[in-house]
Amino acid sequence: MIKFIDVIKSRRREYRIDEKATFVFFLYNYSGRLRIKIQAAGARVYIFSIFIGRGKDLFRLQVLQQHLSPQTFSEALVKGVFYDEAKLIYEGLIKIEKSAQGSHAYQKNQNLLMSKRGFVESRPSLEILANDVFCTHGSTTGRLNSDQLFYLRSRGLTKPQAQNLLIKGFLKEVFEKIENLGHFPELEKYQDRLN
Amino acid sequence: MKIPKSLDNYQYGFAMPSKPVFKSKKGLSEKRVLEISSLKGEPDWMKDFRLRSLQIFQKKKMPRWGGDLAKINFNEIVYFSRATEGSSPTWQDLPPEIRKTYEKIGIPQAEKDFLSGVSAQYDSEVVYESIQKELTKQGVIFCDTDTAVKKYPDIVRQYFGTLIPASDNKFAALNSAAWSGGSFVYVPKGVKVVLPLQAYFRINSQNFGQFERTLIIAEPNSEIHYIEGCTAPIYSAKSLHAAVVEIFVKKGARVRYTTVQNWSKNVYNLVTKRARVDQDGIMEWIDCNLGSAITMKYPSCYLMGKRARGEVLSIALAGQNQHQDAGAKMLHFAPKTSSRIISKSISKQGGRTSYRGLVQVFPGAKNASSFVSCDALILDEKSRSDTYPVLRIKEKDVQIQHEATVERLGEEKLFYLNSRGINKEDAASLLVNGFIEPVAKEIPLEYAVELNRLINLEMKGTVG
Repeated sequence: MIKFIDVIKSRRREYRIDEKATFVFFLYNYSGRLRIKIQAAGARVYIFSIFIGRGKDLFRLQVLQQHLSPQTFSEALVKGVFYDEAKLIYEGLIKIEKSAQGSHAYQKNQNLLMSKRGFVESRPSLEILANDVFCTHGSTTGRLNSDQLFYLRSRGLTKPQAQNLLIKGFLKEVFEKIENLGHFPELEKYQDRLN
Repeated sequence: MKIPKSLDNYQYGFAMPSKPVFKSKKGLSEKRVLEISSLKGEPDWMKDFRLRSLQIFQKKKMPRWGGDLAKINFNEIVYFSRATEGSSPTWQDLPPEIRKTYEKIGIPQAEKDFLSGVSAQYDSEVVYESIQKELTKQGVIFCDTDTAVKKYPDIVRQYFGTLIPASDNKFAALNSAAWSGGSFVYVPKGVKVVLPLQAYFRINSQNFGQFERTLIIAEPNSEIHYIEGCTAPIYSAKSLHAAVVEIFVKKGARVRYTTVQNWSKNVYNLVTKRARVDQDGIMEWIDCNLGSAITMKYPSCYLMGKRARGEVLSIALAGQNQHQDAGAKMLHFAPKTSSRIISKSISKQGGRTSYRGLVQVFPGAKNASSFVSCDALILDEKSRSDTYPVLRIKEKDVQIQHEATVERLGEEKLFYLNSRGINKEDAASLLVNGFIEPVAKEIPLEYAVELNRLINLEMKGTVG
């Protein structure tokens, strides 16, 4: 069974996962805390977050992926594009308790800085207290790939067109990953914002 | 001083009876600081520096993060002791006791083989120095910092405490007030020192803190490799080691600083290390933390000039009752600066390793790039591993990457080695040595061999 949770709509900051099912959390320009405590053995949790920051936007996201039971799985993917003076402060924590042997947890934060005045602070942390686990996290921040931009421009696209195409592709990864898990009509309105 | 029988044959720690010529009373006060300064016959500017630092130390709060430092009692520590009167010019002049300690670690042979200069620290002062004629001929200065204050006051004063001011943190302030010993290295413009300079440090007095102060200045286009190896005897009371290391890498210069730290398992190792790197300069920190109760150490590079490069390669091993809280800091101030951090940590038998790092890109540091990779191994269910990176980016034309993994020894790999007739313990040692290999291969051979043996020793009895 799969459950889809639009965190902005549900407005809850803390979730306890008590059943062995798959949960997909979606966050769009969400600022605040999200704490997920995975208590059911075998439960799977996905967290997808998108930021499109403009003007003086300031986002502060804190995500906790806490594994309390064996054989649990969690994956967080946080992607952001920041124009103007938009800022992101992301703090992610994967915590694997002693009781959660056999768990896997992933965390990835990728940011594109489109303006000189933008600012990103990324703190992807791990606290691992069990040994039979596999955890990774990654974080990248930078500009658009200049080779890709060059290629598109050599094909006749203007600079803004090429940039938009690459940004769309960058963010689309999130929607594609969700599609692979199942189809959720709630997602469509967010997908439209990319266009 | 009696050593418990069970520790007699501990291979990597030694305890020699300590017979200091002078030992200050416990605790730190203005009177004690003045006493240290006058015993050393220091100029007024250094005395004032110590007194100012003491005030800062008394005001500063303990850090609220990292290891648990609640058990440090600053009033129970002897801040200064002198093992022999002044520095001895040759091995033969050293007291037999001190010679015996060093022979156990194997300095004389090592020196015969390929050391270019040894400055060995027994208690808080450097008692033995041998500087090869070649170094002097090249104009390289390599001596203990106390001597440098007297002989080269102009150079020392220009740099001392400018990169790590006393106000940086509580332990830097403590060091600034009570420092003693450490190395001073000055490499003139264009001089490349081929052989690494080494200093052996030992803490050999119960309850005795060691506050050495190291200052390295590499003038434009010079090259130097400095190695500090620490092995300490085993004692029952808590010891404190709070060193400060300042390094200046001028335009086009290259400095490598290698540390193999194996303090006995009751030492608090709280060290501040920082390098300033000018245009086209390269700074490399290679940092192996094996011993101590708690280590808090984050070597950092301030990349100030265009194309300056910083690297930190580190290994941390935490066993029972140990917490290795180590990492690195890279601050990019200029365009095209680049940095790399590779961290490998192993926790076992209830030990805890934490990686704590910072990569900061300031506005204007166009085309800066940084790559951080942290891998951790957890060998049993009692142990713990943490990763606390901070990436702070205020410039758009950058490439910043961070990645980390935490896992255990692969069952399949163990099984394979097992099936080839290698017993479980040896197989685990082999895998752990393979895990740290990317960093270990950067360490000079004699240290790498010792590291390898140490890992094998530490792995005994960890696999059931």
